[in-house]
Amino acid sequence: MPAVTFDQVTVAVETDNSPDPKVLLDAVNLRLTERRVGVIGANGSGKSTLLRLVNGLIQPTRGTVEVDGDNTVSAVRRVRRNVGFVFTDPLSQLVMPTGREDVELSLRRSVKNGTERRNQADAALQRLGLLHLADQSIYELSGGERQLMALAAVLAVNPKVLVLDEPSTLLDLRNRELLRRTLAGLDQQIIMSTHDLDLALEMDRVLVIENGQVAFDGAPADAVAAYRTLCLDGLHTTEPSPR
Amino acid sequence: MRGHGFLLANYVPGNSLVHRAPLGLKFLLVFGCGLASFIIQDWSISTAVLAVLCGLFLVTGAGLKRLWGAVRPLAAVLLVIGLFQWWQLGAPTAARIVLNILICVVAASLLTATTPVQKLLDGVVKAATPFKRFGADPERFALTIGIMLRSIPYIAGTFADVRDSARARGLERNPRALILPVFITSVAFARQTGEALAARGLGEAED
Repeated sequence: MPAVTFDQVTVAVETDNSPDPKVLLDAVNLRLTERRVGVIGANGSGKSTLLRLVNGLIQPTRGTVEVDGDNTVSAVRRVRRNVGFVFTDPLSQLVMPTGREDVELSLRRSVKNGTERRNQADAALQRLGLLHLADQSIYELSGGERQLMALAAVLAVNPKVLVLDEPSTLLDLRNRELLRRTLAGLDQQIIMSTHDLDLALEMDRVLVIENGQVAFDGAPADAVAAYRTLCLDGLHTTEPSPR
Repeated sequence: MRGHGFLLANYVPGNSLVHRAPLGLKFLLVFGCGLASFIIQDWSISTAVLAVLCGLFLVTGAGLKRLWGAVRPLAAVLLVIGLFQWWQLGAPTAARIVLNILICVVAASLLTATTPVQKLLDGVVKAATPFKRFGADPERFALTIGIMLRSIPYIAGTFADVRDSARARGLERNPRALILPVFITSVAFARQTGEALAARGLGEAED
């Protein structure tokens, strides 16, 4: 498995409300080599920031992120060829009118011949059982089909690492299960944020992010327990006082 | 999110004469129709040209429903334009202007209904290749066209959603409640699309 390393990574952004930058991630050190890495945490805790760093969508304010030895700032193109990214909302990711066209778009740079490109796109769709939906407008697909279509478009270029930012958030139970099974069958290293704790329990390693820091890093069951404790502690401190 | 209000018809697989026609010829047809809409001064000629284009559209097998789907989103705007021009310049001019706009829409729909997007993009890349020597990136040209085709239904769908929300709050007569959310959603969509393209390494200069 490729190694994804975070070395003293801090991300801070300027805000209108405060003279001091807001720290989204604070001096994070990680070395991710497991096949399935889960990232859990409350909304706004820094999960998405952490994931976006892996693909070079966000650059660290301080520190470095490397994927298989490639720096995500100085070698960002190579990093993006090796790291596929799946967003929460597939509609913002699918940029062509139909699924087949979107998968072909992914292949445009690497496959110049139109016929060969189409064959490879069809093969990528076939792998996820989506070939029958290839020519349907992306607006006519269900949420789960769209998410799988977005996944097919990313997998078509065969990335080494697959990063997924809450891919099941908008899905119903059936589509969530479909996505889970699909992900389980992939060879790529997967780094995925999720609010689905059952899904998190299937990972090899789970990080709990809280206030821009890694609050827990370890086995899934322990991580989920730690996350529950964190959430409940938070509830106790914000509980309204009885009248 | 709805995405049905589509101004141009999606590709419909087929083997009609128009499907088999060279892409350059179809490009020329759209360009010619655009040009003709400025030149034609007689509404009866506009009617004839539109009839021919509609006939060609139906020959492709794309069907009346798709043809209507391409024109329908414009119907209200065309009605307003037509009435205004009738009041200002008379019935023949109003008819000519409305018909000429329809000619452009149907011609563009004819192109998109009979040409797969990837073939369209390949055509744009080929047409833009001579500009490479001036620093242009033909793939970016093609990507821009592709995203434009994809964005039209999204923004039309956003408008429909926002209109429903405004209705639910009794604000359907307030233009600010309609325009502002569509504008903000469109900007957010543009940002998300940019991020998605960057994540996939698309739109970057060739190595």
